[in-house]
This record gives sequence, C-alpha cells and structure tokens, in this order.
Amino acid sequence: MVSTLYKNQDKDIHTKYAIEVENMSKRFDGFLLDKINFKVPSGSIMGFVGENGAGKTTTIKAILNLIYPDEGSISIWGKPACNLSMDLRSNLGVVFEGSNLHDNLTTDNVNKIMMNIYPNWDQSVFYNYLNRFKLPNNKKLKDFSRGMKMKLSISIALSHNSKLLILDEATSGLDPMIREEILDIFMDFIQDEGHTILFSTHIISDIEKIADYVTFIHDGRIVLSENKDELIYRHGIVRCKRDDVGKIDRSYIVGIRENDFGAEIMIKDLDTFKRRYREFIPEKTTIEEIMLFVSRGRRD
Amino acid sequence: MKGLIVKDFINVSKNFWVIGVIIIFYGVLAFLTDSPGSFSGMFTLIFAMFLIGTYSLDELANWDSYALSMPLTRDNIVQGKYLMMLLLALLGFLVNAVSLLILNMATKAESLFGGFELPLGGVVVVIIFYSVLLPIISKLGITKARIYFIIIYMVPFLLGMLIYKKLKEDNLIPPERLMEVIEMVKNNIYIIAPLVVIVLLGISYSISIGIYRKKEF
Repeated sequence: MVSTLYKNQDKDIHTKYAIEVENMSKRFDGFLLDKINFKVPSGSIMGFVGENGAGKTTTIKAILNLIYPDEGSISIWGKPACNLSMDLRSNLGVVFEGSNLHDNLTTDNVNKIMMNIYPNWDQSVFYNYLNRFKLPNNKKLKDFSRGMKMKLSISIALSHNSKLLILDEATSGLDPMIREEILDIFMDFIQDEGHTILFSTHIISDIEKIADYVTFIHDGRIVLSENKDELIYRHGIVRCKRDDVGKIDRSYIVGIRENDFGAEIMIKDLDTFKRRYREFIPEKTTIEEIMLFVSRGRRD
Repeated sequence: MKGLIVKDFINVSKNFWVIGVIIIFYGVLAFLTDSPGSFSGMFTLIFAMFLIGTYSLDELANWDSYALSMPLTRDNIVQGKYLMMLLLALLGFLVNAVSLLILNMATKAESLFGGFELPLGGVVVVIIFYSVLLPIISKLGITKARIYFIIIYMVPFLLGMLIYKKLKEDNLIPPERLMEVIEMVKNNIYIIAPLVVIVLLGISYSISIGIYRKKEF
C-alpha cells in the first residue's frame, strides 16, 4: 500500500517543469509584482536573483500559497499550487531566511515534531545530517549561531524524501566557509535527476557556482529567465569611448556605464553583434555584471 | 496535526515547573487557611494561559508560514490550537481535581468531592474566554490581539462593577422577571453551561477558520 502510494507520487512529480509561474500579479501598498512568468525545469537548480526588495520572497510566498495572487497561475509538478495534495506537499522542502523554529526547542524536540508532521520523515537521515553539520542534540536553538540554525533548517528540508527544495535566501548572512558547505549539500541533492531546487538569493556568486538556470527579478518584474551558460555566452562587455556609444544599435544594449575614461556597454545577442560590429571587441562577462547593468545601468 | 499538538506540548512543558511552584504555594496556603476552595479557582485558568504562550512563541519564530509549507492545511493550524485549548483546559481540570481531592483528604473536609464545581466552572470560563479570543488572535496575531483582550474583558467587568455600585447606592431592586430568569439559569446550570459552551465554541471555530483561510503571511 505504502509503496503504491509512493509510486503514484513519483509519477506525479515527473513533470517537465517542477514549478510554473504564469502571469502572476500581486499588488501591495507601494509595490507591484507584475505578471511574473518563469518555469523551473525538473532536475535543475534555478537561481532566483534580484536585489533586496525586488520581489523574490513575495514570489516564493505566492508559490507556497502563503499569499494569494490577484491574477495568474502557479503550479507545482503540474498541479495548482493553491490546491497541492498533502502527499505532494510532503515532498517539498522549504528553507526560509530565518530559522522559523522556536528558540526553546532542541534538535531532539524538532525530530519529534517533524516525525508527527511528515508522513515520510526519516529520522536516521535527519540525525546523519545533524552529525555531518556537527549540530548538538541537547542544546536549545537559542544557543545556535545563525549558520547552525540554517544548517538545521536544511537538515529538516532534506530529511523527508524531498524532491523539490525551495530556498529563500538560505545562504544570506553566512560566512563563505558555511556557504560553501551548504552549496555542496545542494550539489549532492541535485545528483538525483528527479530533484529540483529553486534558490533565491542576492549573492550572485552562489548562483554562478551552482545554478543551471537564472531568473532575474527587478522592481517586481522578471527581467530574464534562462539557462545560465547561455546567458553568459549571449552577453559581453564592450569598452569604448563615450562618442562610440551612439554607433551601437539600442536593441543590443542591456545597459551602459559611463566614467571619465569612456563607457562600458553590456551587449546582448553577442553572436549577431560581433558579425555586425567588427570594430568592437566584446569581453566575457559574468552573471553579476549582467545583473548590475540591468538594474543600475542606463539604456541610452 | 498531531505534530502541531506535540510542538505546543513540548513548548508548554518547558514551563511546567511554574505549575509545580504554584501548586506547592497555594496548596500550603489552602492547607493553612483550611479552605481548599480558594486553591481551586485559578488552576484551570493558569493552565489555559499557556495557550497564549504558544501563540507568542509561534509568532516570534514566524512558525505559521513555515508550517504552511509542510503537509498541513490552514484548517489544521486552527484545529491544532482549538484542540490544544481543550486539552489544556482538561489537563488543568485534572490537576485541579486531583489536588483538590488530596487537599480535601488532608483537611478532612465534609465531602471528598467538595468544591469540584470550581474546576468545572474553570473549564467553562476558559472555553468561553478563548472562544472570544481565538478569532481575534487568528485575525490580528497575538501581539496586536493583546490590546483587545484588555478591552474585551476589562470593559464589561468595569461596566458590571459600575452597574452593581449604582444599584446598591440607589437601593434599586432588579426586576422580578430578571431574577426569575437568573434563578432558572442557576437551577439548570449543568444543562445550560455545556450547551452555551458548545454553541459558542462552534461559532468561534467557524469564524477562526474563515479568517485564517483568507490570511496572508
């Protein structure tokens, strides 16, 4: 009976996209999440990036049905996120920026609580993660550092046979050593092709390390959502004199930065640009630079 | 939902030592003053107060939004709190009743079960108290709801005091009809009280569920 249940679940989660957000809008006082569209392919890591206040957490809350969109639709494994069955929910691992656990609990208490919430809770996996992360069993969470709390949240998310991890700023505020350790865990998790991660952060170097896809949100709007390698491949930086900026067709320009010595232009559609403008030699760029040009550079 | 009850009980149990201290303190006081009844009134209420503590801890940890990412429905969260309230009231009644029994034996009271109407009354008071409170907490959260507790419970109390004072000063006698109703309620309290409690609890639960389903985090 149990094995049949899990077989059915496996069938349910083998969809092309783990998460699909279509034309989702939500208006707040002074902020609008405007027609958000992106899809997280199953078996991949999607980095969801944007500056603080861009709308990352709000979008994740909408995916988790914590807020109700004014319009549009969100589905997880092809099913409406607002009406996800408890079976499917039990395959969802979520880590928020804060620990969201009561400070007076111990990890043993957490185990007891979770084993009564998740039907698929595996306490041996949980205690393995606690050992791996060197988290003590008898200490109250109020005595845990921020990094320890985050490791505990990740241990919980990974201890109930999760197939989809949704991480909201899970590495923010952590030192580079702990961040590296956590990113390694995510890389291990994604080795199973049925596993997917949606990973929101404003630390773009983390995305550059582990993401397959990048979705960039700016001012409540999705600016781009595509394969990370293609994104880097399709963009480049041209350094030129200020007077030369006008020679470039605006449709190629993502953003311009000017200084006393000249101008830097972020170019898109690099292949066609190179064929058209042989006098400019674009340099390789990074995700971080693309984001900065999109959010802070001017376009004309 | 069992996990939510386990979570609340673990949190509450961390403060159970307070109950121990109170039992000893008031137990000794009741024994010395030879009045087990005075000991009884507060226990169920003190137990029930732990429920507010669980709300505070949940709010502090931002627990609800986390819990809703788990295999739990919004209805489960509300059901968990109502069940916890009833369990705490029951636990308070049991501790109260057992303590009273021991005190009655120790003080060689006339009846071994004398004063049991007080813990029972405590259960009724707790359920009525929370039936009003829980929808407000569901709507506003515990921090904001605290201000309303004071208004909701202090204003009728003060008004009652004022009316009573006025009646006494002016030597007014309540209408005979009102006295008859009060007498009838008193005579049938063991039927009326449970009915009122069930109806109030049902209304309160429906309102809380309605509020919580619409709530955004």
